[in-house]
Amino acid sequence: MNKELISSERTGECCIHVKHKSGLDIYICEMNGFSSVEALFGTKYGSVNNLFRTAGDSEFTSVPEGIAHFLEHKLFENEDCQVFDLYAKTGASGNAFTSFDKTCYIFSSSGNYQENLRILLDFVQKPYFTQESVEKEVGIIGQEIQMTNDNPEWRVFFNMLKCMYHSHPVKTDIAGTLESIEKISAELLYKCYDTFYNLNNMVLSIAGNIKADEVLAICDEMLRPCEDKGLECVFPDEPLSIVSPEFREIQNIGASIFSLGYKCTPCSGNDKTRRTTAAAIAGELLTDPSSEMYVRLMNDGIINSTFGYEVFCGDGYFTVIFSGESESPDIVKENIVKEAERMLRDGIPEKDFRRFKKTLYASLVRELNNVEVVANVMLNAHMDGIRPFDSIDVLSELTSSDVLDFIRSELNSDRLVLSVVERKVD
Amino acid sequence: MKYNRTEISDGIGFSTIIDEKFKSCLLTVKFITKLDRSTAAENVLAISALTDTSSDYNTIAAMSEILTELYGAGLSSSARKRGDLQILSVNSSWLADKYALDGEDISGEMLRIFSGCLFRPNVINGEFEAESFKINKMELIDRIDAELNNKSGYALSRAQEVAFCGEPAENSCYGFRDTAEAADAASVYAAYKRILSTSQIEAFFVAPTDDPAVEKMLRDGFSAVSRKPEICTFKSPSPLKNELMDVEEEFDVLQCQMVMAFKSDSDDIYAMRMMSLILGETPVSKLFANVREKLSLCYYCSCQLSLTKNTLFVDCGIKRSNIEKTKAEINRQINEIKNGNFSDEDIRSAVLFIQNSIEQIGDTMSSYTGWYFERFCDGKIITAEEMTEAFKNVTKKRIIAAAKSFSIDSIYIMLNKEDNNS
Repeated sequence: MNKELISSERTGECCIHVKHKSGLDIYICEMNGFSSVEALFGTKYGSVNNLFRTAGDSEFTSVPEGIAHFLEHKLFENEDCQVFDLYAKTGASGNAFTSFDKTCYIFSSSGNYQENLRILLDFVQKPYFTQESVEKEVGIIGQEIQMTNDNPEWRVFFNMLKCMYHSHPVKTDIAGTLESIEKISAELLYKCYDTFYNLNNMVLSIAGNIKADEVLAICDEMLRPCEDKGLECVFPDEPLSIVSPEFREIQNIGASIFSLGYKCTPCSGNDKTRRTTAAAIAGELLTDPSSEMYVRLMNDGIINSTFGYEVFCGDGYFTVIFSGESESPDIVKENIVKEAERMLRDGIPEKDFRRFKKTLYASLVRELNNVEVVANVMLNAHMDGIRPFDSIDVLSELTSSDVLDFIRSELNSDRLVLSVVERKVD
Repeated sequence: MKYNRTEISDGIGFSTIIDEKFKSCLLTVKFITKLDRSTAAENVLAISALTDTSSDYNTIAAMSEILTELYGAGLSSSARKRGDLQILSVNSSWLADKYALDGEDISGEMLRIFSGCLFRPNVINGEFEAESFKINKMELIDRIDAELNNKSGYALSRAQEVAFCGEPAENSCYGFRDTAEAADAASVYAAYKRILSTSQIEAFFVAPTDDPAVEKMLRDGFSAVSRKPEICTFKSPSPLKNELMDVEEEFDVLQCQMVMAFKSDSDDIYAMRMMSLILGETPVSKLFANVREKLSLCYYCSCQLSLTKNTLFVDCGIKRSNIEKTKAEINRQINEIKNGNFSDEDIRSAVLFIQNSIEQIGDTMSSYTGWYFERFCDGKIITAEEMTEAFKNVTKKRIIAAAKSFSIDSIYIMLNKEDNNS
């Protein structure tokens, strides 16, 4: 068992990384003074992983959209009980989520963390699916899909991704569609489980009022060694070009909203961290409330304080998205494009660059105030192929030239998509 | 952790919560005032005007620039409803000085800015400065309009309007479009003066180290305010309607939203909360286990209890064709509790769930302010242990009595126009 201490010189924070003999990567952060414990047991398996094989398979397996999310729901049912019933005996709050590139099972508790950790490690390693229970879940997830279809923020985001990506599965809803979930069977769930819920493809991240030695002893007791099966996920070829520059939809909503996204070159590992950080500073600058553009758009009633940005990236996709409420999203688009051009022409004032660098630095430090966030930071860092706290170091080395390079190479108006959900006018 | 509360002026409390584990500071000043249709929007405009600009930083751009210079310090306002009251807050948070890269005095600067916002607003000739006010007003109208974007939130708001019809709590904490549109820079400045003078005020400072300058800043600022604090009623149970009120509205949506309101005349708050937990606040509660898991009627079906109004709301998102079936099942589950059909294990789980939540207070700065503010509203400071003990002492008999005290008052349903998915 390899045990490594990872620390941040700038904040004094430290955590332990262990490559467990079972194949699992474990991150532990003891946080003095905190009462709660947050644990995430995650697999690198999300809604985009629909085409895969292991070293033993001759052919790739293709599965229905939404199956990773479906599996997450079903894993909460043990052969003899519901997992929530087990947590109810300890008082812990159990939950799970599926995103584009990961599925995580979580507990949050103030006491009994050792018992909760046993429950978590046990049920995730013990699938039990029957065709009957799969069919029962279709109704529940069907309503979850309809709920998100009534959510304009969700619609505007996925409409944008559909216009941006030709083939990459990031464009499909995490929960799938009413049609695709009908195709899911117990057999397919087992196939996906056996492929992706291999401890070599998983990570445990736990933070808060814990003792590392106790955590590791429970891991030794509960984890069943896994053979690395050489998992291979493939994605269809995806050109850098977009499908369509615009999509508009009308809904029964109170305020029209937009998502304006640049399709950027995907990347991974340390490169991803550097480019995500450069993209974040670019996003801050382009939505800076003290900029001439922001003030003008605000005074003209084109944007309001919901105007902001997001860097959204993962395996095979990378976008910088500007979004908010607006009745005139075309004007926002025009202005963002011009502002990016102006920055390239005039450069970034060092004073502004430093302001936002300090802002991002502080937000990274402030994240460490929170047990839940620390557990997520460690897990996400592992999934991204970096070490926890690396982001602070990457940020400290970033220059305004890096940001300009990012804007020049990635914020290309030929790869810009505007998605709008317009308010229905009676 | 060190907690201390002092009265710094008439009806103004100041609490410090010092906990060295934190890496940032939080300062929040809460103004408690009566929720009223005619003043709600003006009050929100007044409080939000304070954090957009000040006399020192008289444009949104200037304010934003200084805050980013101070490591992205946060400065914001918020409004929420608590029973028949409107709670308006001015909030600020910033990185602790220890983490400043160049030794900046972030705390000192933020106190100066906060003081300017609260006591030296951007006012010209007795009214808020016109340009900033125009944007502020537009923001509020946008926020009111955007409520419909969140369907379940909108349904819950409409259900509250229906359940609390004729009471202050029927109003939105943001006010309404017409009152927001009618507000002007002078009337909103008058609202600011009124809030400072008449509201109950509770301020909280959470930080890794104590800073006497915070109390001094608040004392100095409020010393110039002529105080006539109004008496606020923190608990105002809503009377049960003589007959069930059903309201249905059609929208272009795919999923129907149903909210059922039940009212109680009990004063056993711990038993009512236990009943609510067993019914629908956790993943092992009766609504989750039966309406969702057993009958697959919905993705979510849960309840929330307003102890200030003695009202329990059950909400869910469902197919139109399942409305009556879901209604019947929700009623059946409530009757199960009334009839005592729940186990000691259910009671133990509810206690553990709440104990877990209580013990996590203090792990975030906002949980500290939330806890102490609620205790202030309750009228007595009790410890987390005392509250846990009170829940542990609730017997099955008391939970049954609490359940029996609830009767259906009203039902709000957001219908889809055509049931394409039934």
